[in-house]
Amino acid sequence: MGAEQAWLLPAVPAGVFVLLALFGRYLPRQGDVVGVAAIGTSFLLFFFVLVDYVGIGEGADLVLKSWAWSDVGEFSLRFGIAVDPITIVMLGVVTSVALMVNIFSIGYMKGEARYYWFFAVLQLFAASMLMLVLADNLVLVYVSWELVGVCSFLLIGFYWEKRSATEAAKKAFVTTRIGDVGLLIGIILLWKESGTFNIEEIIRFAEHGGYGSTYLTVAMLFVFLGAMGKSAQFPFHVWLPDAMEGPTPVSALIHAATMVVAGVYLVARLLPVFEVAGDTMLVITLVGLITAVLTGFMAFAQTDIKKVLAYSTVGQLGFMFVALGSGAPSAAMFHLMTHAFFKSLLFLGSGSVIIATHHNQDMSKLGGMWKKLPITGTTFLIGSAALAGVVPLAGFWSKDEVLNAANHHWGVWALTIAGGAAVMTAFYTTRLFIRTFLGAPRDEHVYEHTKEPSWTMTGPLVFLATLAAVSGFFVFEGFGTALGFPGGITQFVFLEEPEKYSINLGLGALSLAIAGLGIAIGAWIYWGNSLERSTSLAQSYPWAYRWLRNKFYFDEAYQWGIDHLVLGAGYVAAWFDRYVVNDTGVNGSGEMTSWGGFVLKFLQTGRVPNYAMGIALGVVGLAFAGLMVRG
Amino acid sequence: MVPLENYLVLSAILFSLGVYGVLARRNAVLILMSVELMLNAVSLNFIAFSVYLDPDRILGAIFAVFVITVAAAEVGLALAIVIRLFRNRATSNVDEAAILKW
Repeated sequence: MGAEQAWLLPAVPAGVFVLLALFGRYLPRQGDVVGVAAIGTSFLLFFFVLVDYVGIGEGADLVLKSWAWSDVGEFSLRFGIAVDPITIVMLGVVTSVALMVNIFSIGYMKGEARYYWFFAVLQLFAASMLMLVLADNLVLVYVSWELVGVCSFLLIGFYWEKRSATEAAKKAFVTTRIGDVGLLIGIILLWKESGTFNIEEIIRFAEHGGYGSTYLTVAMLFVFLGAMGKSAQFPFHVWLPDAMEGPTPVSALIHAATMVVAGVYLVARLLPVFEVAGDTMLVITLVGLITAVLTGFMAFAQTDIKKVLAYSTVGQLGFMFVALGSGAPSAAMFHLMTHAFFKSLLFLGSGSVIIATHHNQDMSKLGGMWKKLPITGTTFLIGSAALAGVVPLAGFWSKDEVLNAANHHWGVWALTIAGGAAVMTAFYTTRLFIRTFLGAPRDEHVYEHTKEPSWTMTGPLVFLATLAAVSGFFVFEGFGTALGFPGGITQFVFLEEPEKYSINLGLGALSLAIAGLGIAIGAWIYWGNSLERSTSLAQSYPWAYRWLRNKFYFDEAYQWGIDHLVLGAGYVAAWFDRYVVNDTGVNGSGEMTSWGGFVLKFLQTGRVPNYAMGIALGVVGLAFAGLMVRG
Repeated sequence: MVPLENYLVLSAILFSLGVYGVLARRNAVLILMSVELMLNAVSLNFIAFSVYLDPDRILGAIFAVFVITVAAAEVGLALAIVIRLFRNRATSNVDEAAILKW
């Protein structure tokens, strides 16, 4: 078993999906163990691929396998898998988080209706996501891209008896679809000039100047549109907070750790092409910065734990795009990895709180949970500190990398904005933690009935907390070597030479100061039991509070746009369809024929001499016409 | 030798008389006779061309024999129709047999 067999990673969950979808309900325990086993197998296989790839060494891009898909004349489509450092990172993240989420779900989803279906779709999602990161051509990427979108749709709408859940699923699907259309256009544009869908060949074609500069910029902006939709970047950020309607493990797996980073992955994959179309890099950076700042503000006034985390996720994805726009895919992938660990930890932690408090996720009813939920509380603290960027934890190292890249490539202005967003991150994380776990309980009834959930839920928390604590060290060469990977993990994970990573002390200190500042503000406002300070703040700036509370009225603006612009255009199109296409075109041609037949039938008099005269005149006419033509 | 044009002119005159008869007459029997006149004009054309242009001087005659044969069959059929028409409607005027219409 080597890296050539990497296709087994998605194949195993895909097979189990079919099994669970068809027969899951008849299996003992509705087949949840089979699902966990499938993901566990993929997780194990990942290590075989990893070890084999490290053995091959040198971080060379390898196209490992490809099959003919269709050959039509000169058009040939092949699909295959490619394993390279980016893929390895993604495989590790997806399989490990998916395994933890599957185990967690056994406890979280206990007794829910359609239990087997939940696990079946999780398998389908894992298979699609792994296929997405393994694919060596854009068509396969697009197919997997849509498949993970469908899984997201199915799981957000898992509680489809709830109207809000179906609305959220629809919103997520439609919003990402706008981006997907862009991605499809982009892929077609890239193919049209180069004649290939293969990612490696497209990169080579672009680097040799095969595309015109304007053409490539337009094509890559379309591709980036797809990434923006999937990764919920401004102005598509509206769907992700609503997607929290889905079960919490889904939020952890799909809407924090894996699917939403597909956009980051795609841009990282095609980054050499983006770099050729230089202007797009600024667009990527700006979108990332705007998203990071905007969602930071939005997270301030949310009281739903999961919504705060959702805005935080969007903001962190913005950070990744800033890193990509700064031409530092290693920083982006590093932040992607650490973020996947600590954010899925935070989501699973909030899931644990939700189960422990019997489905309460409103911070205004929580508080003081630390005493009741020691394991959840501790792991949540680790996750929060990692998100805020406290020094030895994963988030510090990766955020530092991102800030470093922004500073290095764009200069102080980008660093300032990104730093500001980081302060906000630390602030709302502190607020979230204090209001949930510290202080006195705000609702005695909820507090009374709270107890730590079973080991299937706390186990994944501990595992992910460990990763959230230590995964930042992967950046150091010595750490990888100590784990038994010759040359260190960094050598293949981070694309660049390992010795290139050195801590920029000044920036490290700044980064720490940023985290400290955010935490200090958060603690100053929310420490203790009272909400006096935050309430008085909200009262002294009512307009600011109103805007934050309503998320800058983006949903209202979009709703207005849909009501007036989209529906207006719909009315015009409907009018055109009814009166021009239907009445004039379809019915009109029918009525024309019918009327013409009615008029012309009177030519048939039944009198034979009339016909004979017709024939005679016809012949004479033809003879004349013949003479005229011949001249 | 009589030139070819004379035969062609004679044939054209015969044909035109036939056409006039078909168009102007209302009696079915007379229309049939006019059709025969047109057919004979055509046969005359065939034979004239054959005599003047065909080295074997035979093709036109063969055509003429065929035309006569077909004309005989046609008249036989048509007269049968006329008889049926007369038995049913007591007329052989084609204007009065005009019910095959919209």
